[in-house]
Amino acid sequence: MLEVLEQARLLVVTGKGGTGKTTVAAGLAVAAAGRGRRVLVAEVEGRQGLAGLFGRAALDHREARVAEGVHALAVDPDESLREYLARYGFAPLARLLSWAHLNRFITAAAPGLGDVLLVGKVWEAATREERPGSGAYDLVVLDAPPTGRVVPFLRAPETVAELARVGPIRNQADRVRDLLDDPGRTAVVLTCLPEELPVTETLEGVAALREAGLPVAGVVANQVTGDQLGGRAGRLAGLARDPGPLAGAAAAAGAELDRAALGTLVGEARDRQRQVTRERRLLKELRAGLDGLPLVELPSLADGAGGPDEVRALAGHLVAA
Amino acid sequence: MTPLAELARSARIVVCCGSGGVGKTSTAAAVALWAAEHGRRTCVLTIDPARRLAQALGLDLLSNSPRPVKAKGLPARGPGSLDAMMLDMRRTFDEVIERYARDADQADRILANRFYQRLSSTLAGTQEYMAMEKLYELHESQRYDLLVVDTPPTRSALDFLDAPDNLNELLDARAFRLLIAPAQRIGRGYLRGLNLATTAMTKMVRRVTGSELLAEVGEFFAAFEGMYDGFKERAGLVYDQLKHPSTAFVVVATPDGAALREAAYFAGRLAADRMPLGALVVNRIHQAGPVPPVPAAARKRLRADGADGRLLADLLELHDGLETLAAAEQRRVRDLLDRVPNLGVVQVPLLSDDVHDVAGLRRLGAHLFA
Ligand SMILES: Nc1ncnc2c1ncn2[C@@H]1O[C@H](COP(=O)(O)OP(=O)(O)OP(=O)(O)O)[C@@H](O)[C@H]1O
Ligand SMILES: Nc1ncnc2c1ncn2[C@@H]1O[C@H](COP(=O)(O)OP(=O)(O)O)[C@@H](O)[C@H]1O
Ligand SMILES: [Mg+2]
Ligand SMILES: [Mg+2]
Repeated sequence: MLEVLEQARLLVVTGKGGTGKTTVAAGLAVAAAGRGRRVLVAEVEGRQGLAGLFGRAALDHREARVAEGVHALAVDPDESLREYLARYGFAPLARLLSWAHLNRFITAAAPGLGDVLLVGKVWEAATREERPGSGAYDLVVLDAPPTGRVVPFLRAPETVAELARVGPIRNQADRVRDLLDDPGRTAVVLTCLPEELPVTETLEGVAALREAGLPVAGVVANQVTGDQLGGRAGRLAGLARDPGPLAGAAAAAGAELDRAALGTLVGEARDRQRQVTRERRLLKELRAGLDGLPLVELPSLADGAGGPDEVRALAGHLVAA
Repeated sequence: MTPLAELARSARIVVCCGSGGVGKTSTAAAVALWAAEHGRRTCVLTIDPARRLAQALGLDLLSNSPRPVKAKGLPARGPGSLDAMMLDMRRTFDEVIERYARDADQADRILANRFYQRLSSTLAGTQEYMAMEKLYELHESQRYDLLVVDTPPTRSALDFLDAPDNLNELLDARAFRLLIAPAQRIGRGYLRGLNLATTAMTKMVRRVTGSELLAEVGEFFAAFEGMYDGFKERAGLVYDQLKHPSTAFVVVATPDGAALREAAYFAGRLAADRMPLGALVVNRIHQAGPVPPVPAAARKRLRADGADGRLLADLLELHDGLETLAAAEQRRVRDLLDRVPNLGVVQVPLLSDDVHDVAGLRRLGAHLFA
């Protein structure tokens, strides 16, 4: 991941729902900031997923400093659509109809219009340096929609602009496309869990992104169960039948563990080992399907991954990987 | 008897809700299987079973109506039985149109409409709404003692409750007309400002979608004329059914912060809507067994004492990690219960294999109903 962290301008993080997109996006942002880059991490689904990870109650459309070298932004989809419509002289009607209704109509009649605005905002932040003015970033990390929706999301400007051969909509779509299609500037990373459905969906996601010409840089397998026993796991079955050797070691060290306690310890280790084996098998399948694309593993944190400490821990793993 | 056993014995409808990936589909299937094996005519309406589970339930057939599940150990004939179906939202929507259209001509016009096609296959909320339509249809048929409903993998469990209102509002043609009608079609009574705004809107939509689609939208509403009230009425009936004491919502969550928070929101919303919350399933929990504490000094001696000692020290460390994890999970579950009092909870451990066949469903059931 290191290369991407140091070179990309836009890092798009997608993945199956619940696999850790938001957490990994925060971790990647902190990791890149640790390498001395000025980073903006942005979410676009109006879910306030990033705030807690940086110890904040909420984030909004103002870019706020949330950690050393990291700013965060919650692009509000409703708000940006409102702004856009106001620009088209649409405000009076908006007052007459319920906003929810209007929003649903737009989504049904012109899916993608809302996405155009969100992608546009991300593009603006990622390319600020090319234009004079302050507040430029070296890297924008995007906590993107899940795999099933990410291609239409990123391609929304293109879809909408298909109807416009010239003009401002077309112009912007072209520039967004230039950024997104450039493997030198943009990298898409997918998060995955070592479970059956997420592995399948990740492989489908990689294929769909590539098909759309988007530069996929790697996959982060999140919440992988660590293997502390390695080759010694082979002894567990025997020790479950006869914990004698462990009882001997316990007695010699003065640890008061009876056979029942030793049986519990061995049983728990075997359960965990089964989990490790299952995850290994799935990760092997994943690796084979990725065909050389980098795959980084993140450990499962015992306390969940709800705050700044955990994000820092994950950032450490991402830099090391 | 766990709170779920009571539900599976007496409820008419059980709805499994929760955020994505927590085990809704597995829980719904396991509840249905258990009820069938306890003498009830049961049907599970599933949405997105994993491929192998679908095969195990005989759902690889393309059908949008219930089929009997054939598996070893299932009661071959009476009193209990298990049927399953996988919801095809597009087909359900088409069927609803066909069933409630005035005549075949109206149905054909709607089905051929491009806006309808987009609406019926992509609009967020349609799947939830169609699950309710199907639920209503099956409930009316009185073929089953118990219907177990899985819900779509939405980001929020609340979407299921909001879907009918959302779709109804969208289908309400009056508001639509106002939105897209050319200025001259709006009566004189309207404000001039509105005319202007409408024209701007029309232009905007035209620009963004192409004028063709706008025409399709208009045609859709012309064709849909007269059907809106029926939609609204049925949504109301399903809502009433969901509120009925013979229905039970089962909220499924994993013991992580995000899923439990979602479960709490959902429980609050059910209470506010006076909907019957049956039980909370906390799925995929970790448990540590009883092991007496081993002081640091003894652990140090173990580490210094050859391969067996080191292995034992490592096993103790794994156990500590498991204890920490289990304690953190239980703390989060307790936090939730503090916020949602009087909620029956069933905890299910992380099983050592995916739940992908009838045997897996029985294993899950053993915990759900133990
Ligand atoms: N490495 C980890 N160890 C432990 N828990 C983790 C880890 N990564 C993520 N989690 C937990 O998993 C849950 C889902 O993570 P997150 O919200 O980042 O996923 P997401 O893909 O953004 O989800 P959504 O699709 O809902 O946006 C959260 O409760 C998070 O705290
Ligand atoms: N208690 C459990 N132990 C192990 N695996 C489980 C458990 N419950 C569910 N699973 C697995 O987790 C995955 C997601 O479950 P599923 O029921 O499809 O979730 P949902 O319908 O909420 O998205 C499936 O692969 C399923 O087999
Ligand atoms: Mg997220
Ligand atoms: Mg499901």
